[in-house]
Amino acid sequence: MGLADAPRGKAVKPRGSAAKPPPDGSRPLPGWRRYWPMYTAVSPFFILFAVFGVFPVGFSVYLSFMSWDGIGETRSIGWDNYAYLVTDSDFWQSIGNTLIIWILSTVPMVFLALVIAYALHTAVRFKAFYRVAYFVPNITSIVAMTLVLGSVFSDSSGLLNSALRAINSGGVGWLSDPWAMKVSVAAITIWRWVGYNAIICLAGLQAISSDVFEAAKVDGANNRQTFFRITLPMLRPVILFVAVTSTIGGLQLFTEPQVLFPVDDNGNVGGPGGEATTIVLYLYQQAFVFNRFGYGAAVGWALFLLIAVFSVINWRLIGGRDEDAIGTGKRKGKSRAR
Amino acid sequence: MAVSRRRLLALGAGAAAGGFGPTGCGSQRTLGDPDEITLWTWDRSVSDELVARAETKGIPGAEGFRLSRTNIGGHFNTKVRTALAGKSLVPDIIGINSDVATYFPNQDVFVDLNDFGAAELKSRYLDWKWNECVTPEGRMIAFPMDTGPTGLFYRTDLLKEAGITTDPKELAARAPDWDGFIALGKELRKSQERAVICPNIHHVWSIRLGQLAGKFMTQDGRYIGDRDELREAFELAYRIGRDGLSAGAPEGSTDLYGVVTSGRQPVGIGAVWWGLAFPESAAPKTEGKWRVTDPPGGAGNVGGSFLAITKYSKNPEAAYKFITWLQSPENQVKAFTEMSLFPSSPRSFTRPEMREPRPFYGGQRTIEVFGPSARQVRTVYKSPYDRVMDPVFAAELANVESGKNVDTAWRDAQDTIERELTREGAI
Repeated sequence: MGLADAPRGKAVKPRGSAAKPPPDGSRPLPGWRRYWPMYTAVSPFFILFAVFGVFPVGFSVYLSFMSWDGIGETRSIGWDNYAYLVTDSDFWQSIGNTLIIWILSTVPMVFLALVIAYALHTAVRFKAFYRVAYFVPNITSIVAMTLVLGSVFSDSSGLLNSALRAINSGGVGWLSDPWAMKVSVAAITIWRWVGYNAIICLAGLQAISSDVFEAAKVDGANNRQTFFRITLPMLRPVILFVAVTSTIGGLQLFTEPQVLFPVDDNGNVGGPGGEATTIVLYLYQQAFVFNRFGYGAAVGWALFLLIAVFSVINWRLIGGRDEDAIGTGKRKGKSRAR
Repeated sequence: MAVSRRRLLALGAGAAAGGFGPTGCGSQRTLGDPDEITLWTWDRSVSDELVARAETKGIPGAEGFRLSRTNIGGHFNTKVRTALAGKSLVPDIIGINSDVATYFPNQDVFVDLNDFGAAELKSRYLDWKWNECVTPEGRMIAFPMDTGPTGLFYRTDLLKEAGITTDPKELAARAPDWDGFIALGKELRKSQERAVICPNIHHVWSIRLGQLAGKFMTQDGRYIGDRDELREAFELAYRIGRDGLSAGAPEGSTDLYGVVTSGRQPVGIGAVWWGLAFPESAAPKTEGKWRVTDPPGGAGNVGGSFLAITKYSKNPEAAYKFITWLQSPENQVKAFTEMSLFPSSPRSFTRPEMREPRPFYGGQRTIEVFGPSARQVRTVYKSPYDRVMDPVFAAELANVESGKNVDTAWRDAQDTIERELTREGAI
């Protein structure tokens, strides 16, 4: 019943302010009696956060030092899970896969998003229609995706390969060739997220003052020059934001490979040879298919570490770029002052 | 008494805390009302009609109890494990798939059905199926539901084109073993250039494995997955791939259906349910063109499921009554006619409903193939560690299919398995 006490316990804290007499001159109530209704009112979030946020995180730390099949007793095995992780070739393969898929998807995606955003920005007619159209893949049901994409990428009966064969260029093993598998996953990621990122880029574009574009026009810059000399540099912070969110999303990639290469009857994920097994997919397989919950937790923490490292790298990049983008321009003085 | 504001808040907080800590304060361990026997299954695993009858009219033989079934969608195992791990609101009865051995290490979370006299019913069910429910320690943790005896499915029109006999008996005689089956595949090639006899080479491995008398471990925990018999099965799969008789369609892909519906795979070995899942539902236009005969290499089993009573059950006796009623030979026939779940009780095989001609198979009585096939399946010990070994072989066979040397693949599989079993503490 510890949870019911939580609000009361917390309410003791702001004792200092209780010492001051209230303006009407009556005797001040002790801190907890004055504040408990407020704390009770805000407590649901904290209780829910503790139950569904803090506790699972703490439990996963505990689990990562245990051997547990999900039903029986947990058995403490110290650092064994982590020691095994370091030597686990499948785990390293999944990291490699994730990074390759991440690069294969993020680079073209950011480029496409920019192009689309620019087109949307300059388009005169049906703007709203295009915005919605590009955003639709992001909110499309995964189940619908499975049905459609499975039949698009299928090796022998897929639409894509039928089209390729129709122009006599032979088929590609979209779901069996190690590289083509990664390209397939990247393609779905791009398809799903490009519209979302384009909308963000568009917001960035629209925040750029039209003075700059008008000045460029007066100076006689053509479309291409305007895009590369003005739009891109001014958009840098937005592009970096897109890159950072894509990094975090990319490292946690799960749904897309899971859609294309579901867990088969044998418990394998990520398709033939595990060539499309991402880190989260590997975690899922270990914990929920092979019932190695302790090891799954350890993989989860390894992923956490990896995301932390990449976030720091990104943060450094942004910090550096930020000075480049703003510091060298006319707003140099301003940014220093901050 | 008027409820003050303070009292109301205190009541609210108390209720919230009570709601969040169901395991703590001596709360309910089994799901459902006291007179309810709760059952968790996945879709199409038990007869809906029979379950509905037990839900409305009560459980036959256990007066005063009625059933309450929940169909768990997706990730069934995860949800069951979560309930069992939480030790609260656990259903009385759970469905278990063919991986029943996975639960052997935790056999004490289920009641031993022998305590309720299950042994009396043993003669009604297939021996090998019954034995799959019994742990090495002799506890019977589950009860047989359906089975998956294998047969050789074939398209008569395509065989005729290739000048091959379409009579079940004659065809079975032509391909009594796997070499005969390969020869058959090569002959099919003469009329249809891209014809194959299996969707992928792993399929060959798993069917062949189902025909053998042993799997990867002995009951006393010795690893036997490196024996010659298995090596031969591994190479058989490789040979079929090498001869171009495999479509190379990955497990779980849409291509699996594609090769069947397009007629590229005119013959296929599969369990009873294969016919329903592939040609019957994916290629309804081929109705009447299919037949079934004995599979090359002998009878085998793929799939099948079980029902188990958890130790948290509020009334295991009533739960047992329900299970034995639902899986009685007569009611297994019902499950077959309703959703093609093949009975695990041979007594069902002789029933008129089972013997009805099947229009999809040109009026053939398919029970005449699957019945004897089911009886001939051998008892195989399946270990709890199969779940880590199956994927290793599957992964290496996928590698073989995409060009890896078969000897290297076999060695790598053995190395990986040794590592995995050591890690699990099994060897």
